[in-house]
Amino acid sequence: MQVKAKLYPKEAARLLREHPGVREAVTGATLHFEEGRKRAYQEIDAEAWRERAKRVKDHLLTHLDHYLELAEKRLQEKGVQVHWAEDPEEAHRILREIVARHGVKRVVKAKSMLTEELGVNPLLESLGVEVYETDLGEYLIQLLGEPPSHIVGPAIHLALPDIQRLFHQRFGTPLDASPEALAAVARKVLREAFLTADLGISGANFLVAETGTLALMENEGNIRLSTSLPRVHVAFVGIEKLLPRFADLALFLPLTARAATGQRLSTYVSLIQGPAKEGEEGPKEVHVVLVDHGRTSLLHDPEAWEVLRCLRCGACLNACPVYRQTGGHPYGYVYSGPIGAVLDPGLLGLEDTYPLPYASTLCGACYEACPVKIPIPKLLLTWRQRAVERGLVPTWEKGAMQAFSKVMQSPSLYRLFSKALRGLPLPQDLLPLLKAWTEGRGPLRPSPKPFHELWQELNKE
Amino acid sequence: MDAKSRILSRIRHALKERPKALLPEHPHPALSQDPLEFFLKRLAENGAEGHLVDKEGARKLLADLAQGLPGAAYGKGVPDALRLLPELPPEEAPLGVSRALFAVAETGTVALSSEDGRKAQLLPPVHLVLVEEEKVYPSLLEAFLDLKSLPSAIGLHSGPSKSADIGQVMVRGVHGPGRLVVAVLQGTW
Repeated sequence: MQVKAKLYPKEAARLLREHPGVREAVTGATLHFEEGRKRAYQEIDAEAWRERAKRVKDHLLTHLDHYLELAEKRLQEKGVQVHWAEDPEEAHRILREIVARHGVKRVVKAKSMLTEELGVNPLLESLGVEVYETDLGEYLIQLLGEPPSHIVGPAIHLALPDIQRLFHQRFGTPLDASPEALAAVARKVLREAFLTADLGISGANFLVAETGTLALMENEGNIRLSTSLPRVHVAFVGIEKLLPRFADLALFLPLTARAATGQRLSTYVSLIQGPAKEGEEGPKEVHVVLVDHGRTSLLHDPEAWEVLRCLRCGACLNACPVYRQTGGHPYGYVYSGPIGAVLDPGLLGLEDTYPLPYASTLCGACYEACPVKIPIPKLLLTWRQRAVERGLVPTWEKGAMQAFSKVMQSPSLYRLFSKALRGLPLPQDLLPLLKAWTEGRGPLRPSPKPFHELWQELNKE
Repeated sequence: MDAKSRILSRIRHALKERPKALLPEHPHPALSQDPLEFFLKRLAENGAEGHLVDKEGARKLLADLAQGLPGAAYGKGVPDALRLLPELPPEEAPLGVSRALFAVAETGTVALSSEDGRKAQLLPPVHLVLVEEEKVYPSLLEAFLDLKSLPSAIGLHSGPSKSADIGQVMVRGVHGPGRLVVAVLQGTW
């Protein structure tokens, strides 16, 4: 996927100006998810669950070479073909070979962020293969030609009227068609695709090393169908997605569901051990592609490696007051919100992503929500510090911050500047900081009296 | 070097200085309340229907579901005594009947094995799942620790297929069955 993270501040401002409805749709959906998560955490000893999950993942990551080799061995014993890919190009080569060998014409796809990273859909389309995204939300944005806006709810930026208009144009449904009627139309198109596809493509929520089990979570049934009906199944798995033991799933499946959607367990979980046996329904061939794409360099990072615990539940997006204003698109990469702001610089390099760690108020809500206790606020500061060290932030910012620090530490200077700023007309178009503010808003109008004067007057009364 | 060796060697290099973290033990499962009652409660909360039935009750439940239907798709483990309707291919059947490997009370879940089939669990709009009462575990952990062998695929189903992707409105039966009925079988089968 093309990385446009450098444009974050501009794109965020543009989206808010040009598509004001997105803010309302995203805020509504994320607050709903967030309430569900809080309710689901209250029902359990969330602190104990999160701590346990953190420790299991830390163990896994500090023994990653061992568990990857074990997983490969177990998968091969069950007849799964295992491939390794360092980058999108290698993943493409592997997929191209499978497509050619089986004469694949039609693919059904389960929602997978990794396949977004790898650009699987553009590759398949360039090979003349028909691709159907089968998660309902993902299908909507595929029809619109947009990337996902949220890890769990890819189409949360769309309001019902947007979708009614889209289906009216595509399928001729009435403009006031109910969500049930729209879903029925999509179901019909996609059912046909499931029954005729040659290849099913998925990601994985987990890969258990002990048993070689792929675990996939969903609510619609499209993943079960994508991994059951076509004769070949290919799963793309990030190397950090492993779990040591099968029984670890008893913690991670419900914890992920609670964090992501507030459910006790997602409606469907697929636990896949290998191709169908003789006389069984199911794929005759199963491939697992283990993908690095920046993960080993993150593992090497003495601070940011903890991000690799991430379960891709989206809880930090739902908790984030900054993400809620725009949804994921302005972040310019697959992973947005707080996790994107600390993961993307690690996967892609800070040079291409440096505005993202600034897309936060450092309120800490993301850490409270995170099911594996990733210290996101701390890591945001780490990346900001590195951005300053590497000279990625504008030079005026350093001078401005030094002056600000001086003024804030001296009461007399503070009073002088506060009086001067209120007395003089603000040079709003000259100061870059003020310009960024006023571009999308009215001019700044300082209060006629400063707070400390108001406070003194109040105390006298 | 191939991709595998390069990835593994980078991982070993990255981990050289990193202290190893210990793997925590699994927690002790909580003392079980009556799992059957708990299971039925959780199924209802998940939007599924649960029934505790004996042999006669199971036949009656199936007869009720079968009313007016031309046939059903069956999983391999469904006993002959409960195949009341003519068998139809899952693509056309209005009802799928399967036999679960086990069930889990705390999450309101039935676990379905690929050895029983797959299409009958997914394609018909209504899915009836049979599970023996002694196979209902209180918790997911107890069920997973007790699993002796794993089939090619297990599907954990905890309610009807649903999605809120269209304007945040919950819709049922998006791809999988919109109705899930679970019959917990009591007595000998």
